[in-house]
Amino acid sequence: MYYHNLRNNIENFMYIYLPIAEQPIHSLAILGIGAFLGLIMGLVGVGGGFLLTPLMMFLGIPPPVAVASVANQLVAPSVSGVLSHWKRSNVDFKMGTVLLLGGIVGSSIGVILFNFLGKVGQLDFVIKSSYVIFLTLIGSLMFSESLRLILRTRKGKVTRGKLHQHNWLHGLPFKIRFRKSKLYISVLLPILIGVIVGILAALMGIGGGFIIVPAMIYLLGMPTSLVVGTSLFQIIFVAANTTILQASQNHTVDIVLATILLLGSVIGVQLGSRFTNILKGEYLRLILSSIIILVSLMLLIDLITVPSDLFSVIISR
Amino acid sequence: MKFFFHINLFFLLSIQTSNTFAQNQIVADLSQENVKISTDFQGAKILLFGAYDGKKGDDIIVIVTGPKGLVTVQKKEKILGVWVNTRKVNYINTPKYLSISSNRRIDDILNKKTQKISEIGLNNLNIRMQPGIKVENEKQWRQALTRNMLKSNLWSINENSVSLNKDSLFRSFLGLPSNVITGQFEVKILHYRNSKLVSQQINSINVSKSGISAEIYDIAQNYSTLYGIFAVLLAVLVGWGSNLIFRKV
Repeated sequence: MYYHNLRNNIENFMYIYLPIAEQPIHSLAILGIGAFLGLIMGLVGVGGGFLLTPLMMFLGIPPPVAVASVANQLVAPSVSGVLSHWKRSNVDFKMGTVLLLGGIVGSSIGVILFNFLGKVGQLDFVIKSSYVIFLTLIGSLMFSESLRLILRTRKGKVTRGKLHQHNWLHGLPFKIRFRKSKLYISVLLPILIGVIVGILAALMGIGGGFIIVPAMIYLLGMPTSLVVGTSLFQIIFVAANTTILQASQNHTVDIVLATILLLGSVIGVQLGSRFTNILKGEYLRLILSSIIILVSLMLLIDLITVPSDLFSVIISR
Repeated sequence: MKFFFHINLFFLLSIQTSNTFAQNQIVADLSQENVKISTDFQGAKILLFGAYDGKKGDDIIVIVTGPKGLVTVQKKEKILGVWVNTRKVNYINTPKYLSISSNRRIDDILNKKTQKISEIGLNNLNIRMQPGIKVENEKQWRQALTRNMLKSNLWSINENSVSLNKDSLFRSFLGLPSNVITGQFEVKILHYRNSKLVSQQINSINVSKSGISAEIYDIAQNYSTLYGIFAVLLAVLVGWGSNLIFRKV
């Protein structure tokens, strides 16, 4: 009896009532998910936001709360990441600032769009379908890239490309010199990238690392060593702006959920970065991309299967 | 003297009791009148108990009604292969919590007509569509509302859940789910004899957020920008702190 009570008490203690999501949730589950994604971030170097938000939705957190709270939690690992990249001088602050200017504009547009979609009742659909599109895209790109790399290293061939490719995008006006990145390009390009990523970040509850990193490499032609640190630098501000706007406009930031997640993630990041040398990067990427494809499939199935009930209710608080 | 005192006491008591039951009164109390939603809230179970002046075959129905307001019903349709919410209907004056409990099947207690007049039963509620909304197959939407509210445990029918004892005592457990909303809940206890209302009593339960959970909610609603800034600062601090701690390890 006593044992039973004790167990019951511990069991009850594990549940925490989320004040904004307005439901209880198992705190260890959230902590574990945070740690798992932190581990991935530490190992692979890309943000976990794009996996975290769908996982929160699978756990039954309302999508608007999931998106806003994940944006909140992303600030912590980004700050932590930038600090360590800064020490190794891997951050182009000038490029980061230009990107974040676009990002702040974009995330503000995103929050307004978010609010509007909520009012017309299409928010869940837009969040889920943008996840399906982006996760499938990123997952398959990452999968094929890492597979190719694995096969290539097995054959023993190592090829080096040019520093960066020049394309028509580099011909746009308002050119600026980015000394650190060794680039002389139009300022419009990073601003535009920032705006697009900002909108997606606000809508999907992501830092946008998985979009901005390839964009920086392939569209801007930045050196790969600077890409992660610089993108993390701009993510801090985009995520912070998103959090503040979501909180003031939509009241959807659950600080309790975000705090449990970020505690888990900062621990996970540190563990992850310690294990980086054990597993090879391309194998990690292969595993990660498989997870991403799996998640996008789950979301896709959710969108295309006939709902058990065509009707649903929203209870205004 | 002592003898008279006893007589007096007995007399007083009998007046008291006969008074109470002479007017066919029903008395009831709740184990809990204030439900606090704190950080460990997982729903609440409240005991409703009381006495009534009953005869064999009398019935008790307990109706708990939460705050009323706007509830929206959405309908999904297939567009280009995916299921999208296409239409919605707003219902006004809709109870966001409702439980109907009774000692036996309500259909056995009251006939359909009486149920309708007394607004007892999920289909007899005074719920209206927002003026100006026109949909075909109105009944289908109303059924969807009932079905989904039942599924979310916010509405419930609990027949056979009121237990009666010696035709004078009754008790029932009222369950509030963890997703319950805050506000004033009305607990109406109805005593029927041969389908006629003999007596009734109304109690109330107040559901509110309390503790840290309530404060966070209030701040998020009333000082939303400040709350957002605080949330960001907290995250920055944890990120920076973890960097300091783990570097030394």
